[in-house]
Amino acid sequence: MAEFLETTYDKFVFTVKVGNLYSRQDFWAAVDGNVATLGLTDFLQKSQGDVAFLETVEPGFIVGQGEELGNIETIKATFGIVSPVTGKVIEVNQELGASPYLINQAPYGEGWIYKIELTDLEKDRGELLDDNGYFHLMKEKIQAEMNKRR
Amino acid sequence: MEIKVLKVGIIACSGEELPEGTVSRIACRKVLDELRPGQTVTICLPLFIAGGKEEREFASKFPTITVDGCEKLCAAKSTEKLSGKPTRSLLIPEILKKRGVDLPTRRRHLGIEEKTAGQAVAEEIAKAVDEVLE
Amino acid sequence: MSKSKKQVVVLACSGIGKTFGALGREIAYEVVELLRPGVAVITCLPLLMIEDVDAKKLVTENPVITIDGCPFDCARKSVESIGVTVHKGYRAIDFYKAHKDLKPEGIVELNEAGQKLAATAAEELAEEVDRLVAEGNE
Repeated sequence: MAEFLETTYDKFVFTVKVGNLYSRQDFWAAVDGNVATLGLTDFLQKSQGDVAFLETVEPGFIVGQGEELGNIETIKATFGIVSPVTGKVIEVNQELGASPYLINQAPYGEGWIYKIELTDLEKDRGELLDDNGYFHLMKEKIQAEMNKRR
Repeated sequence: MEIKVLKVGIIACSGEELPEGTVSRIACRKVLDELRPGQTVTICLPLFIAGGKEEREFASKFPTITVDGCEKLCAAKSTEKLSGKPTRSLLIPEILKKRGVDLPTRRRHLGIEEKTAGQAVAEEIAKAVDEVLE
Repeated sequence: MSKSKKQVVVLACSGIGKTFGALGREIAYEVVELLRPGVAVITCLPLLMIEDVDAKKLVTENPVITIDGCPFDCARKSVESIGVTVHKGYRAIDFYKAHKDLKPEGIVELNEAGQKLAATAAEELAEEVDRLVAEGNE
């Protein structure tokens, strides 16, 4: 099975990692037992540009689904890191301090931002999309973006 | 089945040594942002050369127009080497001579000559895009 | 044969998709035109791809500084692809990170903040040029 779903617009290839859950705010969650790793989708990092600054919360922080876990600032925009799940932050990716560009280079891999101990995944699932669902949403967002530019 | 080509890749040399390299950037962005938005894509030449997957894929599948600042033809030769012969290869000094436009003198802090040269080259690129997409 | 250290080659990626490509280019010009003319020199990065004899000789025989616009590091990779080691590689975005008040904008022409940022960054590169020249004279 392919690791990624892909679509191409102009020269850009947008990917969605198979097996993750996704929020409509363009964040992903990879669930392993009671822990979810989360980060930005490829679409979000591509559309917002190179990450220059990152403000994160500390381990122990309690977050609800849809609430913010800090900020990202690129040359184009500043936006919140919106948690796709409810739980407690147990780990922050320390590599991002010196190398925030990992979010751009490997958004589904080394560019992960947080690990969250989940509180109620079944409830959270109601607001989340699977990989195919997000893939379709992403294509709509890309098309909308392209239409805006014309 | 004939497939209609909808996009053209523009590859500017962006040569740093000559003012014409700067003009290639001005012209390329003008085409992308103003003259033919939606029909053109810029291929970042350094990324293309360094192995950029998206740049090379695009250039191998879609028509390309290279815009070079001098006879060394870095953009045209690099494109041919990495993805295939460009559909059109434009040379800035030739364009400026044909249109009676003065050569640029500055590599940065653009003056009227650079902007005029950029506009002239951009119009030629746009014309080439139209011909490719016919 | 040891390298002559009388000149230092400054190579910018000149990426056309992002403002940091323009910033890198501006920093390079600031160094070679204003701060260290005659000592710091520039050549066209794509000349290395087409194996231009003069460009290859320049980067082979002199220390090289690269300024990349983003983590793809195209300038650095282009130099390394012809077997030359870059003495010091910079990323333009790092200068913005160090000077958040100077937000660069524009790809064809940098805004005023971008030009100020370029001037500030160029000072740091000029010191590196001096260091490399001094090393070469030892």
